[in-house]
Amino acid sequence: MLRTAAQRALNGAFVSPKQLGVLVTRGAGDAKKPAQIEVFIDDKPVLVDPGTTVLQAAALVGVEIPRFCYHERLAVAGNCRMCLVEVEKSPKPVAACAMPVMKGWRIKTDSEMTKKAREGVMEFLLVNHPLDCPICDQGGECDLQDQSMAFGSDRSRFTDIDFSGKRAVEDKDIGPLIKTIMTRCIHCTRCIRFASEVAGIDDLGTTGRGADMQVGTYVEKFFLSELSGNVIDLCPVGALTSKPYAFTARPWEIRRTDSIDVLDAVGSNIVVCTRTGEVLRILPRTNEEVNEEWLSDKSRFAYDGLKRQRLVSPMVKVDGQLQPVDWETALIAIGKKIKSAGSDIGVIAGGMADAEALVALKDLINKLGSEDVCTENPFPVNGSGTDLRSSYLLNNTIASAEEADVVLLVGTNIRLEAPLLNARIRKGYVHNETEIGVIGPQVDLRYDYTHVGDDPCSIKDLENGNDTFAKCLKNAKKPLIIVGQDALNRPDGSGVLLAAQSLAALIQKNVQDPQWKVLNILHKVAGQVAALDVGYVPGYEKLKDNSKLKVIYLLGADEAIERSQFPSDCFIIYQGHHGDCGAAIADAVLPGAAYTEKQATYVNTEGRAQQTLVAVSPPGLAREDWKIIRALSEFVGQRLPYDNLDQIRCRLEEIAPHLTRYGNVESANYFSQALALALKESATVNKKPISVTQKSLEDFYMTDVISRASATMAKCVTAYKTQQCSKY
Amino acid sequence: MNYTGLSKLFSVFRIIKESGGLRASLYKLYRMDELKVGTLMGTDKYGNKYFENNRFFYGRNRWVEYAPYYRLEYDGSQVPAEWFGWLHYKTDFTPDNDPGRPKYKWMLDHTENLSGTPQQYVPYSTTTQKIDAWKPPCPK
Repeated sequence: MLRTAAQRALNGAFVSPKQLGVLVTRGAGDAKKPAQIEVFIDDKPVLVDPGTTVLQAAALVGVEIPRFCYHERLAVAGNCRMCLVEVEKSPKPVAACAMPVMKGWRIKTDSEMTKKAREGVMEFLLVNHPLDCPICDQGGECDLQDQSMAFGSDRSRFTDIDFSGKRAVEDKDIGPLIKTIMTRCIHCTRCIRFASEVAGIDDLGTTGRGADMQVGTYVEKFFLSELSGNVIDLCPVGALTSKPYAFTARPWEIRRTDSIDVLDAVGSNIVVCTRTGEVLRILPRTNEEVNEEWLSDKSRFAYDGLKRQRLVSPMVKVDGQLQPVDWETALIAIGKKIKSAGSDIGVIAGGMADAEALVALKDLINKLGSEDVCTENPFPVNGSGTDLRSSYLLNNTIASAEEADVVLLVGTNIRLEAPLLNARIRKGYVHNETEIGVIGPQVDLRYDYTHVGDDPCSIKDLENGNDTFAKCLKNAKKPLIIVGQDALNRPDGSGVLLAAQSLAALIQKNVQDPQWKVLNILHKVAGQVAALDVGYVPGYEKLKDNSKLKVIYLLGADEAIERSQFPSDCFIIYQGHHGDCGAAIADAVLPGAAYTEKQATYVNTEGRAQQTLVAVSPPGLAREDWKIIRALSEFVGQRLPYDNLDQIRCRLEEIAPHLTRYGNVESANYFSQALALALKESATVNKKPISVTQKSLEDFYMTDVISRASATMAKCVTAYKTQQCSKY
Repeated sequence: MNYTGLSKLFSVFRIIKESGGLRASLYKLYRMDELKVGTLMGTDKYGNKYFENNRFFYGRNRWVEYAPYYRLEYDGSQVPAEWFGWLHYKTDFTPDNDPGRPKYKWMLDHTENLSGTPQQYVPYSTTTQKIDAWKPPCPK
C-alpha cells in the first residue's frame, strides 16, 4: 500500500486522501503502540487498537456488517456504502469499512437509521442490476442475492417495468477464463484492487462516473495473469464468472470435497466440486499457511484435463501395439517380466506420484533386490545429498516469505513456478518494502528487483562483493535465498547449491530470529519432496548408463522420457493416469488415479504433509496407485504386508513420521552440517548463464500431464499469443 | 380292426414311414416335440415347409417345419411375412396362389429377429463421453 501510493504519486497520478490517510495511520502505528480504546457495538463494550475500523470492531463481538466492496485482503475502497451504520451523535450514518473508531463511540448496527440506510443502498443497487438471477451463474452463491434477502426492503419504488431506462453495459472480452456480464457489475472495484495489489497487473480500472461508470480494461486487452481466476471468487455478483464452468451447475447440486492441489509444489488447499462423478470446478480453500484464499489459474482451471487422454484400462503390447486387457492378464504378464528380470529393475517416479505409491513401489523394488529407485527430477547429491532435509526444503515456510526484508531469487521464475509464493513476496514488496534480487534471466515478476547477475558466479560475488545489494543482503534482518530447480538442474548444480549454502551460512549469522532460515529450495513438482523424504535418488542418470537393466517401472514419469535412453530390450512399465510420453513408450500400461480420485499424501515444497481426498472415482478400470503396486507384488511373489490405507500409512510413519502428520510443517535445521559435508567435495560453478524453463506466461499453462491434456489451458496459451500480437 | 386298437398301431407305422423312417422320426420328435404328418402346402425361399392336416382341430391343423439347417435354433420370426397370414388363419390362400397379394421390387427381404446374435441392434448413447480415453499411438 505504502509503495503503491508512493509510486502513483511519483508517476504523477492522483493520490486520494484515503490513501494518504492509510499512509499516516500506518506510519503512526509502527512507531509505538498506544493504549486500546473502548467502543460500544450495540451497547456491548469492546476494546480495540486505535485505527481499527468500525467493521473490524463489530466483527470482534460477532456482529457482521453487510459489505460488498470491503475485503480483508485488499485495500479499503469504501464505495459500495452497504456497510453504513449509525454512530450515536453523528448526524449521518458512517461507512463502517473505512471509518476508524474513536474513543467511546456507540455504534448501532441494528437501529432504524442503519436499516433504512441499508435498504436505501440496496434499492439503488437493484435499480441498475438486471433481474437475471435464473440465468446467472452466481445464483445461489451471490452476495447481492443473499444481502438483498437479509437487509433489503420488501418493496421497491422501481416503476420502469417497460425496460426503458435500466442501465446496460457492453460485455468485455478479458480472456478464455473469465466471463464478463458487465451489466451485473455493482462497481465494488474488488477485481481492480486485486489486479493491482495482489496480481500486480494494472489492467483493470474504471471509466466514467455515476450511472455511466464502467469497470474494464480501457483498451481491448485480455486480463492475463497467473492469478486471474481469483477475481471470479472476489466478485460479489455475477459480473465475473468462470468461463469453463458457465451454465454447468448450481451450487446446491454440487458435492464438495476438500483436497490438495498437485499441479505445483506449493500444495494449495482446494475444494473439488463434483456432480455425477465429474469434476465441475475447483475452488481455493482458505489456508493462511499456504495459499491464503487464492489459487493459481493452472490449479483452478486445468481440471478439464482430468477428463481427457485418460488411461482407463490396463494395456499390454501385442504385436508391437498396446491392447487393452483385463487386470489379471496385465498383472500376470508384468509379473513374469519382473520375475525374470530379478534385480535388474529400475524405477523412475514422476512429479505427481503420491507418498503411498512411492513407498509401496520402493518396498517392492527393494524386496526384489534392487536399489535403483529414482525420481524424474534431478537434485544435486554432493555432500550430504538429500540425507538432510534442510538441503531440499523451502525451510522458512511460504507464509513467512511476506515478512522478509531482502529476497534473493536464484534461477527461478518464481511467478510461474509458484504463483502463490510470488504473491507473498509481492505482498512484502508492497507493504513491507522488501528488496528483491534476482540471479538468472530477467523475467517479469510483477515487481521491481535488482538484477544481480546471469550466472551462478554472481552468488559468490555477492558473498565477497560490496555492492548495494550485497550490503543490503548482509545487513538484512530477515533475508531469504530462494533457489529454483532450474539453477540446480545444471551440470554444475552441486556447485550452485554449495554457493547458495555458503552464502546463506554467511548471512544467517546476522539474523536475530532463531526460527528464521535463510536457505530455501523451491521445487516445481508436488511429488518431489515426498520422494526424497522416503529415500528416492534424485535424477535417473544412473539408469541411463545401466545396460543390464531389463525392466523399467515409470510411476507417472512423463517429462522428456525417451525410449532411446534405455537398453532396447528393456521392458518398460508405465503406471499413471494420463497417456503422454511415458505411456507412449511403454510395453505395459497400468491405469492409476489422478489426484482428485485418491486419498493420498503429498508433501509440499516447505515440507508440509497434506492429503487429498476422493472426490470422484477413477475412470474405467483405473485404481489407486498403491493398490496396483500391492496387487502386482502378489504376482511377483513378493507380497507387500499392507492391505488397507491405515496399514500403508503405518508403513509411511515407520519410514518418515512427518508424512502422516497432516497440515504440519516438519522443520529441518542442519544447515551447518550440510555445508560442512558439502565443502568436503569440491564443486565449482561455471560462467554459463542460468536459464529457466518457464520464461513467460505462455510456458506457465501447460507443464504437466493434466494441464497438457486440458483444453482450457491450451486456450490460455492461444490467448497469450493473440495478446502478444495485439498493439496493446 | 378298430376294436382291437391295431389301427392306432398302423397309423403309427404310417406316420413313421411318411416321416422318413425310424431314425428321422426320432430326430423329428426330438427336434419338434411332436410327430405330425400332413399335406405339404408349400415351401418358402428359406426352406421352411408348411403343412396342413385337417384331421387336427382348428388351431393345430396348420404348422411349419423349419428348414433342417436351423436345427434346434428355430423361432417364430423365421416365418416370412407372406406365410404368416396363412399360418395364423388370416387367409386361406397360400402365398403362391393368392391373387390379391401385392408384389413390388422395393419390398425388403424378410429378416428374422437377430436379438442375442452378434448382428443384434444395440442402441448407443449420443451424448459425449465423460472421460475421453487415451488411444495408444500406432507403430510406424
